[in-house]
Amino acid sequence: MSYFLTQVLNGLSFGLVLSLIAAGFAIVFTSTGVLNFAHGSVVLLGAYLVAVTHPTIGFWAAVLVGVVGAAVVGVLVNALLVRNLADPNPGTAAILMLGVDILLLTELTRRIGNRVLPLGAPWGADVVRFGGIALPAGRVLAAGVAVVVFAGLWFLFARTRLGIGMRAAAADGPTASLMGIRLSRTGATGWALAGVLAALAGVFLTSFPSPGVAPPVALSAFLAIPAWVLGGFDSVPGAVLGGLVIGLVTALTVGYESELHVLGGGFGEVVPYLVMIVVLLVRPQGLLGSKEAVRV
Amino acid sequence: MRKTRPALVAAAACVFAVTACSTTEPEAAGGGGSGDVETGNGVTDSAITVGVLTDLSGPFAAGAAVQVTEFQAYWDQVNADGGICDRDVEMQVQDHAYDPQKAVSLYRSMSSDIVALQQVLGGPTSAAVLPLAQQESVYVGGVGWASTALQYENNQLPGASYSIQGANAIDYLVDELGLSEGDSVGVVYFVGDYGSDALAGAEHAAAERGLTIVPQEITPAVTDLSAQASALVQEGVQAVVLGAAPAQLASLVGVLSSQGADVPVIGMNPTFNPALLDTPAAEALLANTYSITSVAPYASDAPGVQEANALYTEADPDGALGWEVPLAYGQAQLLRTALEDACEAGDLTPEGVVAALGNASDVDTDGVFPDGLDYTQVGESPTRTVFVSKVSDTAEAGLELLDTYEGPSAQSYTFG
Repeated sequence: MSYFLTQVLNGLSFGLVLSLIAAGFAIVFTSTGVLNFAHGSVVLLGAYLVAVTHPTIGFWAAVLVGVVGAAVVGVLVNALLVRNLADPNPGTAAILMLGVDILLLTELTRRIGNRVLPLGAPWGADVVRFGGIALPAGRVLAAGVAVVVFAGLWFLFARTRLGIGMRAAAADGPTASLMGIRLSRTGATGWALAGVLAALAGVFLTSFPSPGVAPPVALSAFLAIPAWVLGGFDSVPGAVLGGLVIGLVTALTVGYESELHVLGGGFGEVVPYLVMIVVLLVRPQGLLGSKEAVRV
Repeated sequence: MRKTRPALVAAAACVFAVTACSTTEPEAAGGGGSGDVETGNGVTDSAITVGVLTDLSGPFAAGAAVQVTEFQAYWDQVNADGGICDRDVEMQVQDHAYDPQKAVSLYRSMSSDIVALQQVLGGPTSAAVLPLAQQESVYVGGVGWASTALQYENNQLPGASYSIQGANAIDYLVDELGLSEGDSVGVVYFVGDYGSDALAGAEHAAAERGLTIVPQEITPAVTDLSAQASALVQEGVQAVVLGAAPAQLASLVGVLSSQGADVPVIGMNPTFNPALLDTPAAEALLANTYSITSVAPYASDAPGVQEANALYTEADPDGALGWEVPLAYGQAQLLRTALEDACEAGDLTPEGVVAALGNASDVDTDGVFPDGLDYTQVGESPTRTVFVSKVSDTAEAGLELLDTYEGPSAQSYTFG
């Protein structure tokens, strides 16, 4: 039983980090309609900024630098590239984001090299024990931070004029614009928020049990894509739920692989995509995505 | 529909353009004879050109740059000492960015200008280039240690294959680290020509020694091995063998330690990076982590390794240290031997270099690789001996050489 609980907690705590990334994907999509395939590089950028600045300014100030830096890069990508697209087609924007991803990742890879940059997190390799279960302290903190962040996002979208404006812009941009909502402002806010979430996720993805900042972190971010799609492209609560589902299912599949060997080795690697496909077959709009109305 | 014909014409034009690039007359660039030595592509009266297809802008850029620096330093020294066959050796370095398509294009464009390929870095890239180079009888070195590369007679594997590393890891656990019949060993690996090859060797050795293997397949994107480590602890493994990358090594060892599992972990050649000793996993790594490598670690006191390190630190005093330094030096030594043998045989053509490689039965590299490398049997690993090191914070580049080792299961492993 304690083994089952260990794997459940492993899965949920990692799933919350995936949720942070998936929520960033969803926010950018709802605020500007862009499939942001550069999000993985922004996750790596946030963590990289923390790793290179913490020796001089301390860890917490470095986290601030990472968060602000990732947010600024997000806003700049939106202002300089996305908003100036001659063809506002989602496909064009997605290809553009792939280009941005390659550029950012190439530069970060060049700077990091074959090193693994330590993040300098004060919790180091500490673990929290309760009952017979040991969980990395960083993951427990990640869970706490994620819950606070998601509560803040709920408040933003449900209780503030800016958040309601963002929802209106997402639902019907032209009408929202006619109602006086500045789409440039809601778009910039969305990209900045996604940057903040990416940097926070980057910090937790690169601290123990991961060793530090290395280029594969950008690949890890892509594990959040099934969570985002599963939750519904345009739903932040869906992205959170999707992250939890993917984290849990992956940990349990890996944890009980010896019992599931009839499915083949490495089933844990494909199970997120299998779950995504099954859910989309049953609910094409994802778990919490808005259903597209089609008038025939 | 109206656009179909112009599109087809454009596509055909592109095909012709590409084909035109790849049909250079093989003998156009060099060729002919010079004195008593027959020469061909990549060899003139004054120079021998060798190619390097490496990754200078992709995921392995940093390690690749270390190797290019060392190659250049090695050939500069060879040239200063009189060169090979009275000619200077020049390198033509191209960046494939870990892209197999690009690697093939670059190979096509350089193949008529080189006598041999010093290196094709990367599994997928070398898998794309090796068959082409075999058709044209071009020597290829430095493709890593995948057993799949052994089938090519033009390939020179720099030491023992991954499967031999994996088999030796199991033998070492039994003979030196106290495991016994009935114990189980976890193998965490990347699926593909690296990790799966190491797993094959470990499975063979486990069957020979009466151990049980608990495999855990992962991808490079997985840098948090909490779930995998918990599963291995649950299975009660007494040791873990890792065929992955440094990020996975640190995570696995750190999580095992946090769960109180004091078991030895043995990583294959690419798994260790000295930068890991600056991470929170350092203490756990120092406790019980070993590395099995085909090339001697940086801290080895073998004369070849000392010479390699001296050349490197002179060429790049601030460069990153690691096993890439002796590896690049050793690879250059192997190619030098093949070129000198070809010269001595009077045939310094690409075919002559491949023939010289096929006749090399007892190659020594001053301790960079195990002595007596044998390349006369296509499909066989040139050696069954590996280097065993322990992670250490006192040894340079983090690995202290314990011994060279060749276990009984590594000896009995057959390549299928």
